[in-house]
Amino acid sequence: MNSKPNIPPYERSGFRRAQPYLYLLPVLIGVVVVTGGAIVAAFLLGFTDWDLVRPPVWVGFANFQAMFRSEQFYQVLGNTFYFVGITAPLMVVCSLGLALLVNRKLRGITFFRTIYFFPVVTSMIAVAVVWGWLYNPEFGFINYLLREWFGIQGPGWLLSTSWALPAISLMTVWKGVGYNMLIFLAGLQSIPDQLHESALIDGAGGARRLFSITLPMLSPTTFFVVVITLIGSFQLFEQTYTLTQGGPANSTLTLSYHIYQNAFQYFRMGYATAMAYVLFAITLVVTIVQFRMQKRWVYYQ
Amino acid sequence: MTNRLQSPLLYLLLLGIGVAMIGPFLWMIITSLSSPADLYHYPPQLPATWHPENYAEVFSRFPFGTFTFNSLKIAVLASLGTVASASLAGYAFARMEFRGKNALYWVILATMMIPFQVTMIPLFFVIKTLGLIDTHAALILPAWFGFGMGAFGVFLLRQFFATVPKELEEAALLDGAGRFRIYWQVMLPLARPALATLAVLAFMANWNDLLGPVIYLSSTEKMTLTVGLAALQGGELTARIDLVMAGAVVSIIPIVLLFVVAQKFFVKGIGVGGVKG
Repeated sequence: MNSKPNIPPYERSGFRRAQPYLYLLPVLIGVVVVTGGAIVAAFLLGFTDWDLVRPPVWVGFANFQAMFRSEQFYQVLGNTFYFVGITAPLMVVCSLGLALLVNRKLRGITFFRTIYFFPVVTSMIAVAVVWGWLYNPEFGFINYLLREWFGIQGPGWLLSTSWALPAISLMTVWKGVGYNMLIFLAGLQSIPDQLHESALIDGAGGARRLFSITLPMLSPTTFFVVVITLIGSFQLFEQTYTLTQGGPANSTLTLSYHIYQNAFQYFRMGYATAMAYVLFAITLVVTIVQFRMQKRWVYYQ
Repeated sequence: MTNRLQSPLLYLLLLGIGVAMIGPFLWMIITSLSSPADLYHYPPQLPATWHPENYAEVFSRFPFGTFTFNSLKIAVLASLGTVASASLAGYAFARMEFRGKNALYWVILATMMIPFQVTMIPLFFVIKTLGLIDTHAALILPAWFGFGMGAFGVFLLRQFFATVPKELEEAALLDGAGRFRIYWQVMLPLARPALATLAVLAFMANWNDLLGPVIYLSSTEKMTLTVGLAALQGGELTARIDLVMAGAVVSIIPIVLLFVVAQKFFVKGIGVGGVKG
């Protein structure tokens, strides 16, 4: 009866000991065996030439050499970082702002929270279809507003090499801001009220309370949002698939869409997986850097 | 005093943002009821006459009924698979002791960080080898093995099962119930809100998924609403914005209805990541 204290007596026999693995079996097969196998396979495939039809041929570092010699690859990399660089900060700041705005007891506030969250539940393709029309340079509502309200002639948006990626970024933030707002809201509501009350008694003003209490207490949530937003932004696909297919003149061609193109349009599976590993490496480095830096600004109780 | 002054301004701000968030959807509906002549016009205007027959036209020119059925079938069966596989694993992680428990748990969570593009091509090969290309099973079966929302589900349900008092199980054990009966008859009924949360989020992810159907499905009659809509927009109807918008409205109605009915589950599921993340 005293072989292992943390295993209850009814779980001692051989079958009982194997039982937990039966419960885990589906997830173990899928998430550990197949995904794990796929990660290894992808690593090996990066060193092959493969069109899905004939068996893969080992080519050593040829894919990586071709990639690092290709000017298009650097353009794609640049576009990817440009997109992440404008989307992630905008997303974090806007969703934090919205969360602070709706985190108060006001009549009808749940209605506004619902409205702000609404774009999250709809598909990116439906959103892209309507935004594509709003962005229409001639007949679109956005350029109409710019002209009527500000007297500005709006740009060509999705048809312009310099505006297409910012336009996609703006749409992405608009669609996803409600999701991160809810995460921030949950974080805000877990901050104990006493902290704010005692600061009020000490005479701290609104700005002081925001910077000395709210933001430090919220920093674990902010950290989480920053990490998932960065990872998500690197995987931009549906927006470009629907609206620009990487154009005009490759100005919206980003890493994950380029991987899709190489794999399923040009059937260059080896080259595509090599590139996918570059995406993986970038994501990993960015996440590790975030985890390293969190010691400086994330405050855990 | 300041509160009284602030609150009209505050409402104005809330309302302004609200219009920006909901406006594109209203414009989508208005556009779907316009004629092409109304649309290619500056300044943008409300239609001179309303054209609800656009909806009939989109259904007659494209098999939107079939697309809707396919989307529904895939989203329901796949989210069922996510709930089944994640609840079994979540229960084991919450209530059983076994070798490698912590390591396995972290490995499962870590897979959430891996970009889909990395495993996409080997997984495509697995699906192809199984002969499932251009079948709905290609999109349903993986969910039963924890792909997609599975890792998040294991996390969510493990957290939930861990909060259930152990006495409830012990009473059932004394009555001679086996592990599976406890899982099935005690734990699952208690976990209904958490299961609903996971089911709703998984349904949404599957309903809105584009990359999966793009890769795996090729024949028109197998397509889901998302790929169908993409085909509609990029294909012969590019110039008929009104019809494309009608298709977009049709594609979001079911998910909006689910959101209206099950709003609290959406909110609960998303809050979980933030507080404990």
